[in-house]
Amino acid sequence: MTQPLNILLIDDEIDFVETTGKRLARRGYSAKTALTCAEGLTIIATGWPEVVVLDVMLPDRDGMDCLREIKGKWPALPVIMLTGHASMEAGLHGLECGASDYCLKPIDLETLVEKIAIAHRESRSSRA
Amino acid sequence: MLDDMSPLFDRLTSLFRSTPRLAPAELQAAFRGHYKDFRALLTANNNALELMAEMEQALTAGQPFGMAFVRGNCTALSVNIYKMIHHLTRLADGRYGELDQPFRAITRQLEQVIASRSVNAEGVAILPMDEVDASMVDQVGEKMANLGEVRNRIGLRTPDGFVITAAASRHFIEANDLQVEINRRLKGLDINNLEELYTVSAGIQSLISNAPLPAELEEAIIAQHRQLDLAPETELLVALRSSALGEDSANVSFAGQYRTQLNVSREFVTQAYKEIVAGKYKSQAIVYRQQRGFRHQDVHMCVGCLRMVDAAISGVLYSRAPDDPRSPFVIILAAPGLASTVVDGSGATEQFRVSRIQPHPILHKEAAAEQSQSLSKSQAAELATVGVRLEEHFGTPQDIEWSIDRAGLLYILQSRPLVHSASGEAQTTITPGAPANDLPPPLLGGGVCASQGVACGPVFTVRSSLDLLRFPKGAVLVIETPYPDWASLLNRAVAVVSETGQSAAHLATVAREFGIPAIFGMHQALTTLANNSLITVDATAGKVYEGRVEPLLALARPRPNLMAGSPVYKILTQALAHITPLNLTDPASPFFRPDGCKTLHDLTRFCHEKAVVEMFTFGERYGFDDKAAKQLVVENAPAQWWVIDLDDGFTQDFDPESRYVHLTHITSVPMQAIWQGMMAFPWAGPPPVSLGGLGSIIFQSTRNPSLDPAVRSALTAKNYFLISKNFCNLSVRLGYHFALAEANLGEFLTENYVSFQFKGGAADEGRRLLRIRLISEILAEFGFRVEQKVDAMTARIEKKPTPYLLERLRVLGYLLIHTRQIDMVMADEGMASNYREKIMADLHTLMDTPTEG
Repeated sequence: MTQPLNILLIDDEIDFVETTGKRLARRGYSAKTALTCAEGLTIIATGWPEVVVLDVMLPDRDGMDCLREIKGKWPALPVIMLTGHASMEAGLHGLECGASDYCLKPIDLETLVEKIAIAHRESRSSRA
Repeated sequence: MLDDMSPLFDRLTSLFRSTPRLAPAELQAAFRGHYKDFRALLTANNNALELMAEMEQALTAGQPFGMAFVRGNCTALSVNIYKMIHHLTRLADGRYGELDQPFRAITRQLEQVIASRSVNAEGVAILPMDEVDASMVDQVGEKMANLGEVRNRIGLRTPDGFVITAAASRHFIEANDLQVEINRRLKGLDINNLEELYTVSAGIQSLISNAPLPAELEEAIIAQHRQLDLAPETELLVALRSSALGEDSANVSFAGQYRTQLNVSREFVTQAYKEIVAGKYKSQAIVYRQQRGFRHQDVHMCVGCLRMVDAAISGVLYSRAPDDPRSPFVIILAAPGLASTVVDGSGATEQFRVSRIQPHPILHKEAAAEQSQSLSKSQAAELATVGVRLEEHFGTPQDIEWSIDRAGLLYILQSRPLVHSASGEAQTTITPGAPANDLPPPLLGGGVCASQGVACGPVFTVRSSLDLLRFPKGAVLVIETPYPDWASLLNRAVAVVSETGQSAAHLATVAREFGIPAIFGMHQALTTLANNSLITVDATAGKVYEGRVEPLLALARPRPNLMAGSPVYKILTQALAHITPLNLTDPASPFFRPDGCKTLHDLTRFCHEKAVVEMFTFGERYGFDDKAAKQLVVENAPAQWWVIDLDDGFTQDFDPESRYVHLTHITSVPMQAIWQGMMAFPWAGPPPVSLGGLGSIIFQSTRNPSLDPAVRSALTAKNYFLISKNFCNLSVRLGYHFALAEANLGEFLTENYVSFQFKGGAADEGRRLLRIRLISEILAEFGFRVEQKVDAMTARIEKKPTPYLLERLRVLGYLLIHTRQIDMVMADEGMASNYREKIMADLHTLMDTPTEG
């Protein structure tokens, strides 16, 4: 049972972003996409996204840099890092900079959906 | 959220030494925060343990995997362990920061393993064939190295020419900065998606063949070619042949994977060179490397440029028959014209068997349909001599390509190790069903295939641990029940036949890993199969035959592990050395400390254990009555049961001031399931203490300092449930046993698991082993992944749906309480199967749906 979460996908791989966005929508999520870090930051600034899925390799900015800016301005917003090229160093660095998770492409949609839901749940204040 | 909590955490930390009495609301909030960290730690633990199991299985499953799998899993693992440490530190109010040090040390070592440098090719760009020999394989590839050896060390005739080295092709790729782009295109490529494979392959090849050659390289090639071209009036045609590093070694043959270009005239030489280098990324080459665990970056293309032989008759020569390494003859295939027609199978070929012994008479000849040119007797004899000579030199039977020109001169074009059909391309084990009328009637049928295959050997029945020691190598293991610790026999057995058991049992998994045929559920195996009698086990069909049944055995091929010995396999093995070995097994040990963590598994064990302790002691530490243990009200149950609510484990109407709690106030789904299992059958009292056993127990008690004095009086032992609605952790001391059951059944499969640890006390080691074996075997039947270490075991299932896990929790509840039944095994080994049957019967009634088998 998925809540209708607002998810922002920041990734320049157009195929991936379109397909994933559509599939998330079919699962009941609201998904928006941004192809650059700058575009992503603009959307985040509106306050709309509840979870961000961020690719490590972006055309206009280093993914880690983008992550740091997001967490700096919006510390409570969960960010899941996604990358096509596994690197232990990058993974740990991402977590240290505040990412909720660091996942590898290709990623099974079910797994991604659960990670998004868990990241969101962990970031919420304790319910009464 | 995080920022709100930190001032409170600071207060808690500073008040740690005194006995703080904070307002209940503040404590409740703090506790909630702890529980969230606890739950996040458990999920990370779940992910980590599953990843570790997957990596271990990859070594034995025989399925192909690449560096992406290894790197990806190492990354995911380190991410999850980082999270465990992070959450533990928060749970423990800042303590355990010293875990960072071992974590960094281990991950650094892991990074070094997976970053291991690829094979490097260095040196000169072009080498004339006169200068090449076997020692230069790193520069020229095996094919050309062997040819150079034939030319310069053995002294046989080979075409003139030169080799464009690995260094040259590397230089070519680097100069155009192609590798990054190639890697990008290969990333995430699913080799099973043929369309994607072909598209990516074609794209990369065209990328390479359209890239310009570095000027120096192009000049060098042209210059060397000019030197070959000493008689410019006749056009020099060359053959360009690929020769990759790693190709042609005895167990790995890239034959036919790459390109050869024939009859290349001068103006096309450099283009042909580029196309051959591009051929590294032919689709079947990509798939081939991936299946055998070769990293693309480790394969370097070298290209031999050789003068074309003006061939009259050419062909292939095997220095032994491919299916018989001891055959007394060589095999020759010959056809008019170029050797390629024979190699490609496109020409009209005649076949010869020629004796290896002087004067090399022709033993057998099969003429081709039409024959314009035929191999003469003297040519056949010359070839046989060459075959023997080359085999002697290289030390292994050879697969040789040859050509005889119009002047009658024999040239050797290529020589490589002959791949014997028995160890060649892997076949899947059986083509279903030898024709039934070829086979004798089976001795036994109706068994279930637990591991595919066919094997033949003498029967050896094993009933007890004494039999274990006498099990001969090459025998068929015949047993009543597939206990996990028969697994130690599987590297000596050729097959397994068991009267009971299912294919999910642990022993079946091990049999599959070893590639040993196994049949379970074969009734009356013990009574029908006489010790030492020879039988053929056809596990795939679930039948057993008397004696040796050749037609069946001929069908079965051993399934070689394609990956074993490859670079990627070695890297995974090395990586696992830093990951899976568990050093921290005993929380009571003085070595159970952060600096005792030598592997990632140690770190998970440490963090999990300490996290449970933190949750357990919260109530005490902060004088938090609400979170102090409540005694469970229960009638006629052994021992005392205490419950600690971690979050929402009690109903709303429960009075937190009360010292007691009823089952009706418990919302915890996993706890209720365990309790159902515990209470389903009447408790038969403490384990029996026979006169012989009493002495053994007292001996243990005085010897073993870790035995809690409280245990001596089983009836007053305290057992603790830590619960929330979705979570339960139960530690039990009952009847000298110590057990720990833990489960989380959430809304996400990612977080779901059931785990169980058991260690039996009292009694001597032999009896403790019997007891552990029984429990391990029972849990394996129910789908747990079981690990047994002497007299202790751990079992786990993760990421399954809730109803399935609830059934397993009932099983655990039963096992926890019915220690007496379990220990009856120890008392009378001969009756073991009876007790086991009774227990299994009881357990099956706890299932919602009938289990298979």
